[in-house]
Amino acid sequence: MAAKTKADILARHQANMALKAPAPPPVSRHARDLSADGMISPLDERIIAAAADALEAGQTHYVDVPGIAPLRAALADYLNAAFGAHCETENIIVTAGVQESRFLSIQMIGAMYDSIGIPAVAHPGVQKALGVRARRVFPLAADAERGYLPAPTAIADAVKRGCRLLYLESPARLSGAAYTDEDLAIISAALREHDALAIWDQGLAPWVDGKYSSLAAFEERPSLAATIGEAWPGMGLASWFIGYIAAPADQTPAMQSQKQIMAICTSTAAQHAALEAANLFEEARGQKLAQLSRLRRDISDAAEALNLEAIAGDALNIMALHAPEEAAARLRGAGFDYADGAPFGAPAVIRLSVNTSTMNALAALR
Amino acid sequence: MSKKKAQGTNLLYQLISEARAYDDVIVMGRGDPDFDTPAHIVAAAKDAMVNHHSDYTPPEGLLALREAIAERVKRVNDIDVDPATEVVVTNGGQEALFLMVLAVLSPGDEMIVPEPNYNTYADSLAFAGGVKVEVQTYAEDDFRADPADVRAAISDKSRALLLVSPNNPAASVIAPRDMKEMLDIAIENDLMILADDIYDLFVYDDFEHLSPASLPGGLERTLTLNALSKAYSMTGWRLGWVVGPADLMARVRELKAAISGGASVISQHAGIAALTGPQDAVEMMAEAYRRRRRLVLDALDAMGMKYGLPQGGQFVFADISFTGMDSGDVAQRILTEQHVLAYPGSAFSKDRKDYLRMTFLQPEAQLIEGMERMKVAMRDIMAER
Repeated sequence: MAAKTKADILARHQANMALKAPAPPPVSRHARDLSADGMISPLDERIIAAAADALEAGQTHYVDVPGIAPLRAALADYLNAAFGAHCETENIIVTAGVQESRFLSIQMIGAMYDSIGIPAVAHPGVQKALGVRARRVFPLAADAERGYLPAPTAIADAVKRGCRLLYLESPARLSGAAYTDEDLAIISAALREHDALAIWDQGLAPWVDGKYSSLAAFEERPSLAATIGEAWPGMGLASWFIGYIAAPADQTPAMQSQKQIMAICTSTAAQHAALEAANLFEEARGQKLAQLSRLRRDISDAAEALNLEAIAGDALNIMALHAPEEAAARLRGAGFDYADGAPFGAPAVIRLSVNTSTMNALAALR
Repeated sequence: MSKKKAQGTNLLYQLISEARAYDDVIVMGRGDPDFDTPAHIVAAAKDAMVNHHSDYTPPEGLLALREAIAERVKRVNDIDVDPATEVVVTNGGQEALFLMVLAVLSPGDEMIVPEPNYNTYADSLAFAGGVKVEVQTYAEDDFRADPADVRAAISDKSRALLLVSPNNPAASVIAPRDMKEMLDIAIENDLMILADDIYDLFVYDDFEHLSPASLPGGLERTLTLNALSKAYSMTGWRLGWVVGPADLMARVRELKAAISGGASVISQHAGIAALTGPQDAVEMMAEAYRRRRRLVLDALDAMGMKYGLPQGGQFVFADISFTGMDSGDVAQRILTEQHVLAYPGSAFSKDRKDYLRMTFLQPEAQLIEGMERMKVAMRDIMAER
């Protein structure tokens, strides 16, 4: 048998805890699964028609590595309109989902810097991406009072102390907490002063009801932030795996090259579906926000009645709770899955998707 | 200021980009079959959009697809794998390749690579921090990788042996006798094998494809990749796989989860239809490639150009040393002057500046025209000498 070589490979693998960090699924695995990053949504028949038409027209071949031009343009328009970014088509790379966005940005932008600042509490996918090829990590302490976001002053201090690349989530993938304009003024000033860059995960931003502040709005052209996220979430495309990176021009070639090396391009059907989703997103988002707002209010009241402390968050599609093990065990016992805070870096916290099953989950705790 | 000359993969993409500017371009470069995906596969994708668009798919892929893959690799390659633990679905053969390299190689590890070889292996190895140890092959031997040369290349840092059969770009097929000897070498020297079977359905004349994982003692040390891109003309769907022993496949699964999560659920349902549905389209395409191969070889013969006989694959690796020029420059001239895209050998290996890779993935009329234009380009180049 392949004795020592294989044993060495497996031993290294066993020791690589980052790579094995359990991550939430992209969509629910069953009716009582409240752990998912994305939501199950109906797929508009116009999206189906657009994707099917493209396939029938022969769009079944390789396309450009960074994505089909109309989709890149649509993403640039969306990011500019929704988040005040200043992107051109050339800044956009279409990815096979947000995890590929994380991987490409962390590994390829990360390779240009000595270290990368990583929040102590972040999506487990961040640890997984780092686990593929180790990078020197500069830990950014999480502030529990701010929904586990690192404090802006701590970020500015890290930049001042030499950390020139940061990975930041806003809204936080665990709690949904987002930075404000005042926070971003501090962070962007530090980045600008020290010629630093942030990989900015804003994938949950569409679910913030009201003002959302993106770091991309604090620059005149992409220079401070490489923003990443899912392409038009909530449109029924979570299982199609389609995401984006919008990066400064000097950062895109390395990521495009790596994207070619590891995938050549992103599924054409997914790209054509996403292109149509762009046209329908704003209307659908408005309806979903109204629905999520009602649900979240009810869930928050129910949690309070159970003496479960909700963690403040701005994204309406998730709710994080301080949950003693006994409560978590009862949820599991009732067949409900939740996103465990431990792999995010926050033990004794659970994250629940906000949907019609969530009230049933809390009822199981009564 | 002079522009830095592109190399390797970047050179290929620069040529692809330039080729788009010509309305009458004949593409004999990229490995993208001209056939559209068979209709029943597109129909399955449309059905999935209606009925399965939000289904959860784990990083390793839908079980139904993994079962279809396990059945396929048993039927075609005689590889026995458990779909539950020994198959991982990937975003095309390219991601499968990247995952295999990352799964096995660590910084400083050496991988023995018969050259020339598909350029992305070098790129992936560089990402992993591994070292490529080249074993040269030669056109006069039809690019046969000699097991004795492989044996001679082994050092105490050797960890893996790459076996791409049919080879890309040289189109050589590792003969069963050589494959058995390659496995013996791997066993004797405790090497893992990375096997790339992506062209296994395209083998010509009396040549025979053999998967190392099908041999006794092979599976436990071999990761094998394949994809639907070439056989089913599904390059845009991004669907491939890695199969191998359960212990290593657990690592491949974790790497897949870390790099991209899962594969598109729509592509996966299309893949199930491809593997379990009618196979006549595959036969039709294979027959077309047989005819086209003959056409291109006849044209090369008429031009007096030498090549290693393509025993498999969808391309021919032709010798252009008579031009006295670097293949990158020749490819550029053919593209600029005659609007024919062929890939320079230098993009695959620094030692193959005397070769061009030409695919036969265009209709026969296009190939005839492409080879005529190639003849004009070569005549013009030679007239200047």
